[in-house]
Amino acid sequence: MIAAGIDIGTQSAKVAILKGGEVLSRSLALCGFNPKEAAEKAFKEALRKARLSFDNVEHITATGAGAAKATNSDSTISMVGADAQAGAYFFPSARTVIDVGAEEARAVSCDENGNMLDFVLNSRCAAGAGTFIEAMARALEVELEELGPLSLKAEKASPINASCVIFSESDVVSLIHRQEPKPEIARAIYDAMADRISSMVHRLGIKPHVVLVGGVAKDVGFVTSLKRKLHTELLIPEGPVFAGSVGAALTAGKRIG
Amino acid sequence: MATKFEGKVKAIPEMPPKEIEEMRNTMEFVSRKVIAENIERMKITWPNRPKTMQYFDEISNFFGQRVEEIRAQKEAGKKIIGYSCMFAPIELILAADAIPVRIDSGWYDTAKLGDTIVPVEVCPVIRSNIGTQMVNLSPYLELSDAIIIPLTCDGRTKLSEILRDDKTVWTMCPPRIKDSLQSRKLWVEEVKAVKEKIEDLTGTEITGKTLRSAIEITQRASKAFRRLQEIRKGNPVIMGRDSMLVNQTSTWDDIKRWTQKTEELCDELENRIEQKNWACSPDTPRVMVTGTPMIWPDNWKIPNLIEESSPHGVIVVDELCSGDRLLYDPVGVDEWTMSDMMDALAERYILASTCPCFTSEHGNEDRINWLLDRVTEYRVDGVIYYVIRGCILYAMEYARIKRLLDSMDVPVYYLDTEYTREDVGQMKTRVEAFLEMLETRVALREVK
Amino acid sequence: MVTCSRRRITMTEIIAEILRATIIAGIILAGILAILIWIKDQTKKISYLRVFIQIAAVPVIFLGLIIGPFGLPQFPPVGNAPRDAVVGTNIFGAPFPDGLSVPVLACYYPSGRTVTCPIWQIQGYIFPFWNTGLGFGWGVFYTTTGLERLAIVFGLVIGMSIVLGRFFCGWVCPFGLYMDLIIRLRKTFKKRYWKLSERVNIGLRQLRYVIIAAFLILSFVFGTQAIIGLQLVPGTERGEYVYSYFSAPFCQICPVKPLSVLVESALGLMDFTFVFSNTKGLLYEAGYYVTSLNVAVLVLVTIGAFAFRRFWCRICPLGGLISIFNRFPPFKWVSGVRLNKIEEKCTKCGICKRVCPPQVTEVYEEKGGDVTSPGCILCFRCVEMCPYENCLEIRVAGKPIYKSRSWLKGLK
Repeated sequence: MIAAGIDIGTQSAKVAILKGGEVLSRSLALCGFNPKEAAEKAFKEALRKARLSFDNVEHITATGAGAAKATNSDSTISMVGADAQAGAYFFPSARTVIDVGAEEARAVSCDENGNMLDFVLNSRCAAGAGTFIEAMARALEVELEELGPLSLKAEKASPINASCVIFSESDVVSLIHRQEPKPEIARAIYDAMADRISSMVHRLGIKPHVVLVGGVAKDVGFVTSLKRKLHTELLIPEGPVFAGSVGAALTAGKRIG
Repeated sequence: MATKFEGKVKAIPEMPPKEIEEMRNTMEFVSRKVIAENIERMKITWPNRPKTMQYFDEISNFFGQRVEEIRAQKEAGKKIIGYSCMFAPIELILAADAIPVRIDSGWYDTAKLGDTIVPVEVCPVIRSNIGTQMVNLSPYLELSDAIIIPLTCDGRTKLSEILRDDKTVWTMCPPRIKDSLQSRKLWVEEVKAVKEKIEDLTGTEITGKTLRSAIEITQRASKAFRRLQEIRKGNPVIMGRDSMLVNQTSTWDDIKRWTQKTEELCDELENRIEQKNWACSPDTPRVMVTGTPMIWPDNWKIPNLIEESSPHGVIVVDELCSGDRLLYDPVGVDEWTMSDMMDALAERYILASTCPCFTSEHGNEDRINWLLDRVTEYRVDGVIYYVIRGCILYAMEYARIKRLLDSMDVPVYYLDTEYTREDVGQMKTRVEAFLEMLETRVALREVK
Repeated sequence: MVTCSRRRITMTEIIAEILRATIIAGIILAGILAILIWIKDQTKKISYLRVFIQIAAVPVIFLGLIIGPFGLPQFPPVGNAPRDAVVGTNIFGAPFPDGLSVPVLACYYPSGRTVTCPIWQIQGYIFPFWNTGLGFGWGVFYTTTGLERLAIVFGLVIGMSIVLGRFFCGWVCPFGLYMDLIIRLRKTFKKRYWKLSERVNIGLRQLRYVIIAAFLILSFVFGTQAIIGLQLVPGTERGEYVYSYFSAPFCQICPVKPLSVLVESALGLMDFTFVFSNTKGLLYEAGYYVTSLNVAVLVLVTIGAFAFRRFWCRICPLGGLISIFNRFPPFKWVSGVRLNKIEEKCTKCGICKRVCPPQVTEVYEEKGGDVTSPGCILCFRCVEMCPYENCLEIRVAGKPIYKSRSWLKGLK
């Protein structure tokens, strides 16, 4: 039983192929200006890694903001639905899944079968998603991958305005001019973001265990701040950016036949 | 040096007539398109749509048959009295042989226009009304000889002042506490005052006889209205949007004719129930919408999403002042004397109302009770709590209602939107995710 | 059954009597069915039924045993007083010589006394008829003591109050019928009704209990001679002033007395001239059974009833008595007929409060459950007019027998 899931996000397209409910292969391609092409490219790559052809795949489910662009998919599912499936798949004890992507953050409660029970989405502002970190890294003139480890060196956080990306950016610039140490600014940035995510998750209600997925889950700075704000351990699967596509593939698997 | 103003200072600046004409034509063009499109979409979702719905489609066209009728009657000497909200006593207008028509605006484009006069934080319905007035987009507003505006919220209070610059506006002051002794006295006096204004405008005295027949007309309309809502309790034999359209056309249409057509529709629907001719599968998630009004044609955004997304839901009941609250409460007259009829009229409009613009001596219990009752009677699977940005009244009630529905294990989702087409994508994600969740719950329930 | 017939009753007469009773019962039942089936206007159906039953109750109460089975009065006249020819009870033997106590204002004085006003009985058995042992009352001979008779009356009243409550007020009481007829008269002239302010209404409701206390205390004070052997007030001996004209103090101001007397005189069952043969009293003109105070109160109440619906019912001490034994704990927990409200169905539209004749507000104010008020006369008007399905209901012994429904369905 071969199923595939395509997750077309704002920055990248991800594909996962499952056989018998187990992950065979995964692939990612940057969207750039053409998400449809990126999806096709990722799909071809995933097939190649799994040593399968297009005809072997029995059902394809698409998800993500650009799900409609995956014209070769058989069905769709919402991001939160895919997250719930993926969370329960990676960690059977998972009951809350937090997904922080490039432009949207979500939280889902699920049961042991990965059924979505309730969900909450961020209020249409990018200050609680990956783009915020990118913008802040630019303002601090630090590479994106270095921002996380940098923030871990701080002992406390400088105060910044967390209400809007634009305001935060100008706050950061003025902090740099005042010669505030960069680690503390970095930590403040992650704390602000974790604060937003945390209040969103509290609207849902936290049930252990909590899984964190999405591209931002690889960032140690963010993970540390979020653990601190939520006062809970976070379970992070390997390859967290593929959670959406894996969840979509799991859904596809259930829909075969 | 102080200068003297010549003439009144208006809120809306003078615009060159050509510019107004151009904007109006563009917006009318868009509006006609949107109306046709919405109707087309309803037909696509429900291929087996009854022929009787065509009548309502025609009435829902703001630039069509109904406007021509009203125009002809105005030329023949009848007065047109527009009203906002749903607290204006229509029976008095009918008794004076005038034509009541609701002028609340549902156009998105005019909301942008209203932004130039009032800040963006103001309720979109109000901004849209202002924009409509600026370009004379609404034929009903244009044809009104007078407009009754009950000052139910801050937005309307100031809207009345802005409209007053160019039109005759009669304001009514509904008390915020609806059921104390003083409030009831105040409201009865307000209704009496409006009665006199109507009599002056139309030159017709409202007698016990004419008021009685007007009340009987609206009672029959309530009967037809309730009959339709009863039908929606069972398996879906009519899609939610079509029902909402039928409900809303009662605010523009000739009420007697509307009653008759609705009864015909109900007859046909009851036939379909016997033939088990459902509009959509009976295990489609049953959705209830509560919140700020959804006014035709542009503000059909959310109902469209609910009933067209995949998976889709069916709106079985709503708690909207543009929907299932319109004619549900009849005027209950004890003795057909003028004083009892006026009392009954006054009480019907505010005591039974569940609008959160009121509070009562016991808080907002009656809205809680009403929602509870609707959820149980209509076997609602999920509730969409729809709030237009800026409406504090509805937004503040959400906390209590969420806890109530949580205790009943009914999922509720808070949708916060605006008079704009630009956030359809985001709304779609949310609505789809919610409906997916409902579908899962329905499936799980059936497994049990 | 103790009867006093002047001749033997033949078999044919027995059969004829049974036939007559069956026909009467049949007519009443047919009337009820006709109303229930033919009247489609659901805002009027119960009201018509109620009026029908009120009217049917009148002959039963007043004329029941004057006519009597076999057309014979039940008792030979005891004396020469005009009322004595109209005496007609004792069908149940010694315990009910003055008639069956039913809590309605079916005046003791002139009627055929099938059914008797318990207010008179309560007062009368304290003073002047407390006699320990045998003795004469007004035209009857008591074989039981005052205390025993009081116990029977209270027992009956309490029992009926618990079971039916103020249902008697709404559906049986002839004075209630009088006031309902006044309402209909006013409606034909298309005149509006007036409302008392809620504070005044509640004050009147509490006045009822004061009136009950007052006449009980007065009767007791007059009757101390017989009860405790000490005469507190002069003129209470047999035949003296207080005994003859001031016993049963409430009855000297009750408006029902002159109404019943006048009606019976009009029907020819009483000699009219005797009614107005005057004796001057201390404070009032006293005729035979009718005092000037009675008449004044009747006039006031009639005028009041034109303005305020069911005016007397708000102040009626008999209603108050029933309320005590129906609406206050512990009786409240076992009362038989109740008005019940389902909280979730109520939209607080206020129609029930507006249409209520005695202006009861509990049906609107109370949230849910048992909303029967001490002022409610169980006329069912609120249930009839409530436009929401199953919101208000009348429960008998816990089972709903009449629920509110959308009367819109009955519109043409």
